[in-house]
Amino acid sequence: MRFTIFQDSHKGTRKVNQDRLAYSYGKDVLMMVIADGMGGHARGEIAAEITVNTITARFQQEARSPLKRPLEFLHASFNAAHRAIIAFADQHEMLESPRTTCVGCIIQEGKAYWAHSGDSRLYVFRKGELGITTLDHSRVRQLIDAGVITELQAETHPDRNKIYNCLGGVLPPEVTLSEEWPLQVGDTILMSTDGFWAHVPIPFLASKLTRANIVDLLPGLMEDAERKAGNDADNLSVVAMTWEKQDELADIPTQTVTSTVPMEGFRTHTSMGGEITTSDVVTEADIERAISEIQSAIKKVPK
Amino acid sequence: MASQQNQPLPEGYQLNNYRIDKLLSSGGFSIVYLARDENDNPVAIKEYLPSALVLRSAGSEVQVSSDENLALFRHGLKCFFEEGRALATIAHPNVIRVENFFRANETVYMVMQYVRGRTLQFHVQRHRQEFTDTFIRRIFVHLLNGLREVHANKLLHLDIKPANIYITMESKPVLLDFGAARQALSSDHQKLRPMYTAGYAAPEQYRNGDDMGPWTDIYSVGATMYTCISGMHPQPANDREKTDQLTPLHEIVKFGYSPELLSIVDWCLQIDYMKRPQTAFELQKALTQEPQNIVSADTPDSEKSFTGRLKQTLNRKIF
Repeated sequence: MRFTIFQDSHKGTRKVNQDRLAYSYGKDVLMMVIADGMGGHARGEIAAEITVNTITARFQQEARSPLKRPLEFLHASFNAAHRAIIAFADQHEMLESPRTTCVGCIIQEGKAYWAHSGDSRLYVFRKGELGITTLDHSRVRQLIDAGVITELQAETHPDRNKIYNCLGGVLPPEVTLSEEWPLQVGDTILMSTDGFWAHVPIPFLASKLTRANIVDLLPGLMEDAERKAGNDADNLSVVAMTWEKQDELADIPTQTVTSTVPMEGFRTHTSMGGEITTSDVVTEADIERAISEIQSAIKKVPK
Repeated sequence: MASQQNQPLPEGYQLNNYRIDKLLSSGGFSIVYLARDENDNPVAIKEYLPSALVLRSAGSEVQVSSDENLALFRHGLKCFFEEGRALATIAHPNVIRVENFFRANETVYMVMQYVRGRTLQFHVQRHRQEFTDTFIRRIFVHLLNGLREVHANKLLHLDIKPANIYITMESKPVLLDFGAARQALSSDHQKLRPMYTAGYAAPEQYRNGDDMGPWTDIYSVGATMYTCISGMHPQPANDREKTDQLTPLHEIVKFGYSPELLSIVDWCLQIDYMKRPQTAFELQKALTQEPQNIVSADTPDSEKSFTGRLKQTLNRKIF
């Protein structure tokens, strides 16, 4: 496989980056994933991190050769991530489980497959136009579908951030699966969190993509999106891939060629926010344990 | 937002089996009370209460002001636990002893031995003439026994200063207030940075903390000895890094101390941490070496002349 790939995440003006993203590829399969940990719930970044880790780990177990059923793989991985979040919350006696959106994509044998829960998006651009997109599991999307509001009204609707489906929630996630998408040379698959897509109109993005490759284009667009959001810039993350000429032999520095990956090997790039990891969470149980440890240490030491 | 003060627990407040007598001190991360246990023995109780994160304007329960702060509050709790955990395992006559640790009022409390005596700071201010060469060596050799034990537990004190060293009735130094203490081997406690005490904190404490080690506490021990000898703390390390105007002790003190002791202090106060004694043991060894000769006060030399004394006074003023 030969493709150009780009991935980055900005914290915006928030104190914590709750977005997590990764891509990983072996010789024959590429996987990309973005999770946007939900604010307003306990430690969304933990849910996002568990999700990205779970899906990446499963990918590396199962995708040593092309996946037999890539959409089933995505469905099962999303559910596994959901269960891992719930287990984490249980184990740490968290009052509320942390939650996250997720969009994941598999590319193999010249075709793309994806799945999503929540409002992190996947766009496919072809020849300067939007080929297909995920539809958000959001309140405003429901209102649009019901004909109550227009797409334009949705952009400023007070409930535009509300989603009804996620990983880590009380109900198991609803995972929407794509059809199979046969890739053509030049197709770009762009996945992003709402901190990015809310500030970058689709037609603008589509036309920009005809003039520059993703590696040159996206860093500037991410900065613009962050600037547009002003003092209230959400975390914003993008992972994007452009499908290149597969029979090209020249060594093009911006492009990734997977034929050099050893059999059964994977190359993985993750963006994990870096600041707060799961080990930093102090739960009720941790506090009780620490206190009883200290008390027993005090008893052991001769006075 | 206006800075709000955390209210201390009131006198007579019953905290589990302890009754609060009075407030002893309050810092950026905690409040320390004098209290009595059920047998009426005095104890010192430290309450975890980071002033930047938490508010208690009335009543006794601690209320965390936001979700984000709750995470930081709990993260800071971890540091408090580590302090408690480390102190609980240290049984050393020169380190304050922890007697109990419990949870109440939505926060945690550490009960410590109450030491009768005065802080080194009190003594420096009032009876500096008693801080002879031998007395300083004796006090600090003992204190370093305690510090070695702290370092052996992979902990750094990070706030050694005259106010945090108690001298008991029996003239025994006891190291207290581990509020700034951090595990030397982990670096994930950057968010709740301890307050630095200007004049005593090492240069690396003003930076990101990557270079901290036993030598960081050594700098503070040096600064504390400097204060005992000269009566004033050295120029703050962050200023020294810009323009080093530290007056070497031998320029301030002309008699009463051995040149060896003065150069040991200089050694501890090196800006470059690599040039200091690297361990408490190394410093201890240097302090226990018999000095060759102490310049005695009645040595008849020019310093005893009127102009000599005047020069001394001027030197102090300039500093």
